[in-house]
Parts: sequence; structure tokens; C-alpha cells
Amino acid sequence: MNTLLIALATVLPIASSSSDGYLLALLLAGPVGGGVVYWMIYRYYRNTDKTHHFEAETRVETRPATGSDTKVNSIRGTRRRAIPGRNDGDHRTRVRRF
Amino acid sequence: MNGPYVQQPGEGQPTPGAQPPTQPPAGHTQQHPPVVPEQQMQAPHTAQQQTAQPSAPAQLPHQQQGAPAPAAPQAPGHPPPGQQTPGQQTPGQQTPEEQLADLTGATTDGLREVDTSNQNLQDGVNRCPRCGATDIQLRASSGMLMCLFCRHEWSEKQFDQNKLGNVPISDLRGTVIGTGAAEIQADVNEIVTMKCSGCGAEVVVNTAEAMSARCHWCRHNLTVNEQIPNGAVPDAVLPFALTRDQAIERIREFTNKRKMFADRTFRKEFRPENVAGVYMPYMVVDANASVDAVGEGEVQTRQYTRKRGDKRETVYDADVYRVERHLDFMTDDLTLESSAERADMNTLVNTNNIINTILPFDTENAVRWNANYLNGFSSEKRDQDVSHLEPVLENQLLSIGRSRLTESIRNYGRGVRWEAERINVRGTRWVSMYLPVWLYSYYHTERGKNMVHYIAVNARTGETMGSIPVSHGRLWIAAITSGTIIEGAAIAALVATL
Repeated sequence: MNTLLIALATVLPIASSSSDGYLLALLLAGPVGGGVVYWMIYRYYRNTDKTHHFEAETRVETRPATGSDTKVNSIRGTRRRAIPGRNDGDHRTRVRRF
Repeated sequence: MNGPYVQQPGEGQPTPGAQPPTQPPAGHTQQHPPVVPEQQMQAPHTAQQQTAQPSAPAQLPHQQQGAPAPAAPQAPGHPPPGQQTPGQQTPGQQTPEEQLADLTGATTDGLREVDTSNQNLQDGVNRCPRCGATDIQLRASSGMLMCLFCRHEWSEKQFDQNKLGNVPISDLRGTVIGTGAAEIQADVNEIVTMKCSGCGAEVVVNTAEAMSARCHWCRHNLTVNEQIPNGAVPDAVLPFALTRDQAIERIREFTNKRKMFADRTFRKEFRPENVAGVYMPYMVVDANASVDAVGEGEVQTRQYTRKRGDKRETVYDADVYRVERHLDFMTDDLTLESSAERADMNTLVNTNNIINTILPFDTENAVRWNANYLNGFSSEKRDQDVSHLEPVLENQLLSIGRSRLTESIRNYGRGVRWEAERINVRGTRWVSMYLPVWLYSYYHTERGKNMVHYIAVNARTGETMGSIPVSHGRLWIAAITSGTIIEGAAIAALVATL
């Protein structure tokens, strides 16, 4: 089921672009699905993506967060579902230090 | 609408139902000052924002067995109880204010070192407190040291990391380290010569490979217990709690789930009985830190569809905010690899990430150093100092800080893009520790590329992780088969719609 979902997520944007895209997506569904199956089994056996989740598994005491929120702009009619460059869930990727 | 943000109790908790699209961030009310005074901060372990993480496994007994034992037979060649040699360990006579309570500390190069050496032990002969024998080994099922002659069991005292510096983590300032975590000096020899107090012979131990040796004349077991600046003797050790048979069972269970696509040679040569007990070197760190992060967040104000050519598309309106956050936090027992080789986790060339994955350990149950805990196991010596690991610590603290900020930005439904960050480490406390791992290793060569695949079992919690070499031929067959099925299903769907 996961494989099918990933394959669909890959090919649906292509399919929705035009009628040619629809045919292209149809052709790609098999190879993409096969590739996803290969990668998922490989990862299940080799566990190359696994590491210690120290963010969640370390005992941490926090104090209430402080700070500010200042409105700087409004955007109208964007097709984006999220802010560009969203990284609030990607805690391990470092950004500029100040 | 703009204003300072102060996290409210319960904020960020999941609420039923979808958030109205026009709702601004909760932090926009100006009811609170931007900085929380110290007095308002909640005490550790009580604040709602605090989290106490992993559930530790059942604690092992660490007190010496107090029940009267029947008179033990005297070991041949060993002195009877009560006739022990000077300097010998007698845990039953230890005072409560032993080494860890004696925290005068010494300052060197901005570091404050606290003596954590076990003064009851020495390099050389350390005897069973009951019969005087020196054949002592860890009994994993009980977590106690056991005399192999009279079966008496006892344990070293629990190592209390909080006593280093004698302050809670929230009051830590500067860097405090145990003497077992002291800087490794290149000119200190790894070879230790011990004088056997049984017969007077001199016995040599290479601390890079072992922490004990048997006297070749009188057969006494000699152990290395004195801290020397070569990284061989840590501040504390966490004994094995999982037996070898339990580890074998877990490894077998792990591989049984991964048989079909495993490399054929691996399957043929797989012998979980070859598992080895290894004490891995780690630095266990308490830290008092704060993180600052700056970025932009978006709050959706409207969602609607509009016509574009022949199609309709969904578009959004949103308000953009400049988001600034500051968070004070304390971490307890963050565990870092202190072997450079193990810290290298490039999965293209090694499988060290497997050993990293079985963290964390219940490090709060570690005991003071006694080399007898290592008898029957192998160990890997530390080769990284505090100065080497400080960048790693800062990186992990930043990640922890950023993850804990998530609660405070939950109202930004369209997410936040952090653009800059800063970590301020006020104080740290470092302890070097040996942690127990059952390790199965398999040396695999494929297309001229060599790799050691590990299956590791956390010898305290039983958490198991491994890397199984795959049969690429079988993987290809599975991929092509499933690809063909998906393609067939897609074509069938197309035909059905025509």
C-alpha cells in the first residue's frame, strides 16, 4: 500500500499537468513503483536511515519559550500549500548561525 | 496583532477540530512580558513544558548483598577472609562519603576536573571481599559482580553524575568533567605494568586491548583500575544486564524477519552464537543551554478556488510573520560516541549507525569503575576528548532546542522557515562511560567493496538493530515484478475509463 501511495505521489503531478502528462505518468507508474519497492526492501534490510533519535529520547527540561511575532507581509492567491523552505520539522539541518 | 510571545501552559497541545484559517498565532496577545523572570519558571520535573523521556528498564540492584552468607570455603592459594592485603577492596567497609562526595575538584585550562577514581581499587590484585579470590566476573542476569570461587555477589556503588560539581543541571556553569574524561595525553603509554601482590611478579597489560591479565606465576587475576590519561579507564561503567543467550535470541529474531532478500552467503554463514559482548566508550553529558532561532512563519487567512483557463485551482491567502524564539533548556545524560571510528557514520562505507541507533542506555544506573565488570567481555578505548566532542554536542543541542520550539510555533499552520539560529551553552558536565553492547559482526565483500555489517543489541534495554547484506538479484526480481503489476493495474485503469 505504501508503495502504491509513493508511486501515486510521484506520478500524479505529472498526470495532472496535461493529457500528454497523463500518458507519461501511466508509463512511469511501473518503473517508479518498482524502484520504490527496491528501495523500501533495501532500507528494511540495511537500515541505513536509522540513527539514535536524541531529540526525542534524551531527558530534557525546558522553560517556557519566549520571543515575538511581527507581521511583515501578506500574500494573496498563492498556490503553495506551505511556506517556501519550510524547515520547522527538520531539526538536524543547520541554518545560519548568528 | 504583533507582539511578544510567551508560551502558555498547555499551548501547543493538540486540539480537536481544524483550526479556523483566519486565526492568528496565539502569541499575538500582549498580556505577558517577553522574558519570563526566574521566579516564574517551573521547577524541574513539574513544568508542563518539561518532558521526561525514556522509560528505563527495571533497575538493577547496586547494593552489596547484605544477607549473611554461609561460611565460604577458602580458595586454595588465597588468604582467608579478614586477612586481606593492603589496599584491597572491601565494599562492605565503604563510607558514604566516598570519592564522588569528595569533590574538591581541580581547575585546568578552564575545565574543572572532579576526581572520580575508585579509591578502593588499585592496579593489580583486587580480591573478593568474602573469600579473597581474584576470579571475579559480572553476572549479567543479576548485574552484580560474582566471585567465581565462593559465588559471593556484590556491586560497586552507583555512579551519581549529579555529584560532579554538586549542582543541579540548571545551575551548571562552565565545564565540569570527571577525571576519567580527562584529556588523553599522547605520551602516556598504553602498556601498564602491574606488580602482582600475590607473588611479586610483574605483569604487563596492553590497555588498548584488555583491562586485566592473569599472573603467569600464581594465576591471580590482575585488573587495571587507576585512571591514567590514556582514555582506558572511564569514570563509570554500566554493566551488562542482558545475558548472551538473550542477545542471541534477539539477533535470531531480527534476522528471521529479514531472510527472503538476504545475501545467500550471509544466510549460509550466519552464526548468532558468535555474538560478542563489547563495552563501547561514550561521553555522557549534562548541559544547561539556550537556543535562539529567527525566521518567518505563515498563517493561512483564506482558502479558495479560482478559474485558470479550463481548470480550477486551489489558492491561499496568508499573513507572513517574523518569528523570534528563545528557549532555555537542560539536557540530562546526552550520550555521545567517544571513539572517532564509531562516530563516523557514513553508511556508504560502514554500519556504525546501527550501534548508534540502539541508544539510549539507562546511564543513571551506571556504577563506579571496576575492571572486573569487563572480565569476559571486550572493550574499546576512548580516543576523543571533550574538546573534540564539543562541536558535536553543540550540534545536538541545537537540534534538541529546535525540536522543542515546535510547540511554540504550532499556530503557524503553513509552517516556519528558520533562517538563523544560535546556541548558548552555559554549563556542561562530562562523564566518560563504558556502555554494554552485544555485537554480531559479519564481514561482507561485494563487487570488491568490503563492509562489516553489525547487528547490535542494547545489553540493558534489549533494543536491537542491524544491517543485513542484501541479495541484489532477488531485490531486482521483486522490483521488476511489482513494477509490472503496478503498470498493469495502471493500464487496466486507463482502459476502464475509456
